[in-house]
Amino acid sequence: MLRYAIKELVKRKKKYALNILVISLVVILLITLTSLNTAYKDASKLPFESIHSSIIVQKNGNVAENTTGALVSCSLAPIKKDLISNIKSLDGVQEVSYGLSLWVFDEDNFKRILGVNWDDSLGRKIKTKIYVGSLPQSDEEIIVEKTFAQENNIKLNQKVIISGKKFIVAGLSETSGKDIVSSDVYTNLKPVQDMAYNSKNLQDTETFDKSDINIIFVDAKQTKVADVSEELDTLLNNDNSLTGKTPTGQKIGSYSIYTPESFENQISSIFNISDKIVLLLSIVILIGIALILFKSIAHTITERKKEFGIMKAVGFTNKDLKKQLTLEVLIQVTIGFFIGVLISLIIIFVLSGLTVSVNIPWELNPYPHFLESDPSAVNTVQTYPLPIQFNPHQLILPLLSILIISFLAIQLLLKKIGRLKPMEVLKYE
Amino acid sequence: MNKLITVKELSKTLGKVKAVNNISFSIKSGELVAIQGHSGSGKSTLLSLLSGLEKQDNGEIIFDNKKIGNMNEDDLALFRRKNVGIVFQSFNLIPTLNVVENIALPLFPTNINKNEMMDKAQKIAESVGLDNRLDHYPNELSGGEQQRVAIARALINNPKVIFADEPTGNLDSKTGKKILELLQSLNKEKGLTIVMVTHDNSIANVCDRIIKLKDGGIQDE
Repeated sequence: MLRYAIKELVKRKKKYALNILVISLVVILLITLTSLNTAYKDASKLPFESIHSSIIVQKNGNVAENTTGALVSCSLAPIKKDLISNIKSLDGVQEVSYGLSLWVFDEDNFKRILGVNWDDSLGRKIKTKIYVGSLPQSDEEIIVEKTFAQENNIKLNQKVIISGKKFIVAGLSETSGKDIVSSDVYTNLKPVQDMAYNSKNLQDTETFDKSDINIIFVDAKQTKVADVSEELDTLLNNDNSLTGKTPTGQKIGSYSIYTPESFENQISSIFNISDKIVLLLSIVILIGIALILFKSIAHTITERKKEFGIMKAVGFTNKDLKKQLTLEVLIQVTIGFFIGVLISLIIIFVLSGLTVSVNIPWELNPYPHFLESDPSAVNTVQTYPLPIQFNPHQLILPLLSILIISFLAIQLLLKKIGRLKPMEVLKYE
Repeated sequence: MNKLITVKELSKTLGKVKAVNNISFSIKSGELVAIQGHSGSGKSTLLSLLSGLEKQDNGEIIFDNKKIGNMNEDDLALFRRKNVGIVFQSFNLIPTLNVVENIALPLFPTNINKNEMMDKAQKIAESVGLDNRLDHYPNELSGGEQQRVAIARALINNPKVIFADEPTGNLDSKTGKKILELLQSLNKEKGLTIVMVTHDNSIANVCDRIIKLKDGGIQDE
């Protein structure tokens, strides 16, 4: 029967090529659509991956009256360090790191400085970006970002004055100025806290204790990110008396909790597609495919009516015909499926050359808008290679869909052939 | 000779016409029987009832001591595969299969080993004079050759009887004669029972017996 099935497909290849093409198209469309959808979802996590974190906590505060000395941006108001132990106790939290990010308006230039603990995930991440020199060995040493160093002609081991305090450049790092809370200068947390505590301008704007921080990175279990985020919101945003608003519309005194989902709707690309659209497209594709296959089958019945009559006349039972037709359909499905997977792999490879743009909210990478000639330049758009990849799980939907449609098509075909009386078909030939 | 087929009070109505009307007869094993009659006399309908391609309305057909009238579609298909070879006027070959494969077609649904199946088909093809046409497809064969393939296909399952419906009807007289000789030799040399529908007297006259039909009934036997 296999011999007959193969001969049938080879001898009428033009007719079956259409079926195989249609099956391949289903596989290609479903795999490509789901891969793209997954890729854009994964892309929304990329800004967080760059800091090895899944949740970011910041507090919204006041805008300083003037821009002198060390300041905090209105999206990075001081947070009490005691909060860390509360966050660590939440179910699903694996690690918590924190830092203090300041704007420093010195006479010669503006700079952003970030104080960190070098042993936590944030510190470790920055550590990997140091390409020359070493980590700060004392509170008087700093790491300077490469671009900032070039623009300000800063060299290794050079003395640099920041907010009136003298530092020595221990190393140079190569970080992206577009990453979340990117900075021009990195150092130990303590000297940055001292700098903030001693800044009159900052203390006039916010109350800053010596151990305060202003950004918290929470690494939660993948499956618990939404739960932890919700619990944090309940824990931190329980003050209903807040009224004032920051220039970006946040309530002063409230906490902003960012997760990768915060970015999902911000991915600026025509390829950004939601689950619902993917589902809708998949249904449309499957209905289309079912119609084409059923039409092809109806054609098969008309075209091969005489053949089925001959087969029945020489002793094929309906079960034998079912075997024969199933074999023919399975061969088409197998060929179409493999061609589809192969072409999908090629398409995915080609698409992996695309990039995806993610808008980093200003609050996550604040920069004084008045320092830019074009205020919109402070809006950070980070571009990443599209993280598209082939996942074997993506084969399940197209394979199941095609098998179900084929099964239904065979049943329909058999129902019609079952009613076929050999004599009725053959006597009028 | 034993009775192979017994027909009792057999009737079949097609639309409003009684194509076969209450007829009874029997066919012995090894007989060469011609069924004759004018167009519309019911000869082809009778042949399709005898071969299990159609079911009767009334009466019964006993084939080798088994009633075939009560069988369902699939049982009838198995009955045909095991007991019957059918030769049609218009050959009815599968266009996508070559000569050997067309001959082997009735064996495709069986569990016979593929090589054994093809060897058997090849031997039968050779026995009906198709030695040089084994790999050819139906559209590459003459009418006579196509009918030889159809006869070989009817022989592949070692049937007890061959039913032939106007086997020479689509052939020229010379080729028709050769096909008739082939059927005669199968009957004489192998003792195969052959029931043949024909309107050609010269063909009917070489048969052991002629059943003449008129308006669905037996006119003369």
